[in-house]
Amino acid sequence: MIPEFQNLKPSERILSLKNKTLTAVRYLSIEQAKIITKVYKENEDLPVILKRAESLARSLSEMSIAIDPEELIVGNRTPDNRAGVVFPEAGLNWLVNEIETLPVRPQDPFAVRQNDISCFKDLIEPYWRGKTLEDDIYRSYGKEISAIEKVVKINQKDHAQGHICPKVEDWLRFGPAGLLKIAQENLSSAPDDRKVFYKSVVKALDAACKFIYRFGALASDMAKNQNKDALRMNLEEIAVICKRLSDNPPETFREALQSVWFLFVILHMESNASSFSPGRLDQYLYQFYKNDIESGRIDSEKAIELLDALFIKFNQIVYMRNAHSAKYFAGFPIGFNVTIGGQTKNGVDATNELSYLILKTQDHIRLPQPNITARLHKNSPDEFITECTRVIGLGNGMPQIVNDESIIPALKTIGIDHDDCMDYALVGCVELSTQGNYLGWSDAAMFNMVKVLELTLNDGKCLLSGKQIGLKTGSLDNYIDYRSFESAYKKQIDFFIEKMILACGAVEKSHQSHLPSPFLSSVVDDCLTIGKDVTEGGAKYNMSGIQAIQVANIADSLAVVKNLVFDDKFIKKETLLNALRNNFYGNETLRQLCINRIPKYGNDIAWVDELGAKLVTYFASKIKQYRNFRGGGFHMGLYTVSVHVPMGQNVGATPDGRFAQTPLADGGMSPMYGRDKLGPTAVLNSVSRIPSHLATNGTLLNMKFLPSFFDNHSDREKFASLLKSFVCLPVNHVQFNVVTAQELINAKADPESYRGLTIRVAGYTAYFTELDEDLQDEIIKRTTHGENN
Amino acid sequence: MEKTTESTGTIFKVKRFSVHDGPGIRTSVFLKGCPLSCIWCHSPEGISSDISLWYDKNLCIACGNCVLGCPNNALELIQDAEPHINIDQKLCDISGDCVKICPSGAIQFTGSTTSLSDVVNEIAKDILYYQISGGGVTLTGGEPLYQPDFSMAILKACRKRKIHTAIETCLFCERDAIVSISDYLDLFIIDMKIFDMTQHIHYTGKSNEIIKENFRYIAKSGKPVLVRIPMIKGITDTEENKNACVRFVLEIDCQIPIEFISYNPLAENNYKRLNMPFLLKC
Repeated sequence: MIPEFQNLKPSERILSLKNKTLTAVRYLSIEQAKIITKVYKENEDLPVILKRAESLARSLSEMSIAIDPEELIVGNRTPDNRAGVVFPEAGLNWLVNEIETLPVRPQDPFAVRQNDISCFKDLIEPYWRGKTLEDDIYRSYGKEISAIEKVVKINQKDHAQGHICPKVEDWLRFGPAGLLKIAQENLSSAPDDRKVFYKSVVKALDAACKFIYRFGALASDMAKNQNKDALRMNLEEIAVICKRLSDNPPETFREALQSVWFLFVILHMESNASSFSPGRLDQYLYQFYKNDIESGRIDSEKAIELLDALFIKFNQIVYMRNAHSAKYFAGFPIGFNVTIGGQTKNGVDATNELSYLILKTQDHIRLPQPNITARLHKNSPDEFITECTRVIGLGNGMPQIVNDESIIPALKTIGIDHDDCMDYALVGCVELSTQGNYLGWSDAAMFNMVKVLELTLNDGKCLLSGKQIGLKTGSLDNYIDYRSFESAYKKQIDFFIEKMILACGAVEKSHQSHLPSPFLSSVVDDCLTIGKDVTEGGAKYNMSGIQAIQVANIADSLAVVKNLVFDDKFIKKETLLNALRNNFYGNETLRQLCINRIPKYGNDIAWVDELGAKLVTYFASKIKQYRNFRGGGFHMGLYTVSVHVPMGQNVGATPDGRFAQTPLADGGMSPMYGRDKLGPTAVLNSVSRIPSHLATNGTLLNMKFLPSFFDNHSDREKFASLLKSFVCLPVNHVQFNVVTAQELINAKADPESYRGLTIRVAGYTAYFTELDEDLQDEIIKRTTHGENN
Repeated sequence: MEKTTESTGTIFKVKRFSVHDGPGIRTSVFLKGCPLSCIWCHSPEGISSDISLWYDKNLCIACGNCVLGCPNNALELIQDAEPHINIDQKLCDISGDCVKICPSGAIQFTGSTTSLSDVVNEIAKDILYYQISGGGVTLTGGEPLYQPDFSMAILKACRKRKIHTAIETCLFCERDAIVSISDYLDLFIIDMKIFDMTQHIHYTGKSNEIIKENFRYIAKSGKPVLVRIPMIKGITDTEENKNACVRFVLEIDCQIPIEFISYNPLAENNYKRLNMPFLLKC
């Protein structure tokens, strides 16, 4: 760490901008929806991709824009900050039902202007009825999707799919004007059937240049009436920068940051989607930074102020979700993932001054966005790991840590070139991606393997509704041994995989016909070279990611079935089955046996971990046999983010002692809460037995530490050692939840679920739930106090 | 194979990711049995070398299965406002039937007879973390030198695997035990309590003459030593005691680091589980 970075403080301007961002009232915005509707109405006969390009172009030139004179980085898709933007093409059904309740819903409300309700209901919605992506999917494949919905959650049904790292490097090298020139050249030599694509790209890029210019013009106008010198000079500088960027690639660090931000604003104006991710910011911005530092144009204080300003902007675009989804994705996570550290293509450590400045920026801003990911490898510098440790200790769970040693070889196995593997970054939450050439469709579906286990135990019938959902493979009391039970489980899995793949195909087909994305395609290789839109398979790599959920509950449940029921015959098959059917009602003794008699995943017990590993391996190998709609492959992810709660609601009682409809294990790779009792090394060892190398779509391991663990140098060093050990294990990802007071309050009320929670009390670490009530209260108080600091 | 009959010992806990018992990330192995009986002992289940039963009311679901399963009728289900089990230790012959039956893990043995290879395998599970953090194994207790042969066997096996070895001891033991074990040790953590002999006898049950003699020996042997003094309110944490202990240590070797350890408030719960009076509070 450069010593001078340590003392950098957020400037007054940054604190003020942050405050304004957080306190602004969030409104529903239908301004762009009106433009899009108008364009579609006026151009019904145009090919969809041209309608989309025209809609974007008109939005870029007609939408109101605004600048706050304090801003260093400007631009947004609406004049208000954090507006909930309506995009009609993808689907409006939820909004039809919820537009009135948006301002009063408990989680993530939006204010709604009265006029907008009537405009939406009278002008916008009626035009789109039956025409949206969502309507199309439901018409063509809705019945099939509903039939499997308790097991498979098919995603991307009413919005664009996002989840992509654009080629920021090229955007910075050529600028939109340079890319426009390339597109125009390609258009002139393109075969007839590709001309429409290039025309759309040209239209989108041309409008992008003009959009950027509009901010320059607005800043010039505002400067004329600004009588505070500092603000006026800032506006004049913004004017120069935006006007230059509309026609040229950036030259300075500030121009580069501004240019990056415009790219993401425009991507979000084309597609209502989450998880467009900036990727390796510290790599592609480094040359700009270095030049400016060396020439004396900026110093580190100015550099971090600019980064701070960009980080605040990442929080000004929010993703409006329906009320149900907002409950589980609270706080509008939009998935701007910034990756730092890692290696160069030659395998040399890539950490640079910007990597450290970005960590310092996180220290300054501490808002939910961007999601910061640090890539570690065997030669990551100690000081980088130390600084990551310090920032993790601040709370917020950032940076999350990913492991080059495990990820890079895994990516090679799905056919990704060496250079692209070395350049991987994270998208959204934990999804793996190469940069600028990869349409991963990483959130294609969530496959609830725990539900399938339930069906296997109960002859394909749902324990909650009694409906026949799966195959009639028999119920637990019919299987003669564990092997026949396991083979029935596999049959059920196959059954749902096949249906899921077809549904994924139907969804992708509708995306291709409804949401081609010419602007996005201009920044994803090889779309511009081969003349294909991303939805048509224009990207160099075309994967589809399916999440297998949830390895902890599978391993724990199978261990009970295998050991207690089949091997030891300690529990009769009928007894367990009846208990599950009755949600353990009146049989707490049996439930406790299920929990305590057999060791659980997360305690470094090989045979238990391997039961989960085996099924997950089976799943990964099965989906690998299919091709997706764009000609790429399917691969597995092991993450749920927060969907373990609604997914759990679909599942009846399970042999691991989990009650019906309660949450599944969190994260993806994490042990079931309260079931791991031996601390972080045992957890990591268990997790390392699960084949992360097959989960090339991404994995998520969540670990919890108390903030006080980071208080002194010696403990932080031990934490850093844990990170270094992680790099030696075949585990892709870990993130640290530095536990909050609220969680401790929950732990106190529900000790069974929090047994593994270790806390640092005074000179030693203890299990929180074993502490005396008074001491728990004391620590809760202390932790609250810590949070206020 | 070196041996046909493997040595065994009695341990009551193995704690992984132990980060406050020596350098780096460690595994602490708790050996059962201690010559002292400090009234503040935070692991009272480790004092006796005999294995007995203990009972955690918080985990108990009062199913009563253990009562039916006990061959000696030593258990009774008390059906009051907070239903719980009473163990009559006089009738109990530690058959362990109740432990096997108990579904929630509320009744447990206070320790187990464990083979050397089982202990070493458990320790070896975190070898990666030791290597990277400069950690290793710490034998503690109880008093590890109360089982000198088993302790030495563990340390020897760890040394063979290049695992850093430490022992946390009160030093109330035969000199020979120290002499022979120190060949396999990288660090002595000395749990020092009270300097004044009368007080020492009063609060721990034993004189500290041997302890002091053993300390002098170790301090002069050149082995790395860390002294830790638990801060027990009004007993060990008085200025007088702290100063006396510090002076004693530094006069022998002024390089020896000394740490004052805040008291573990988990202790009381452990006494409840053992159904033992917690004298410190009384």
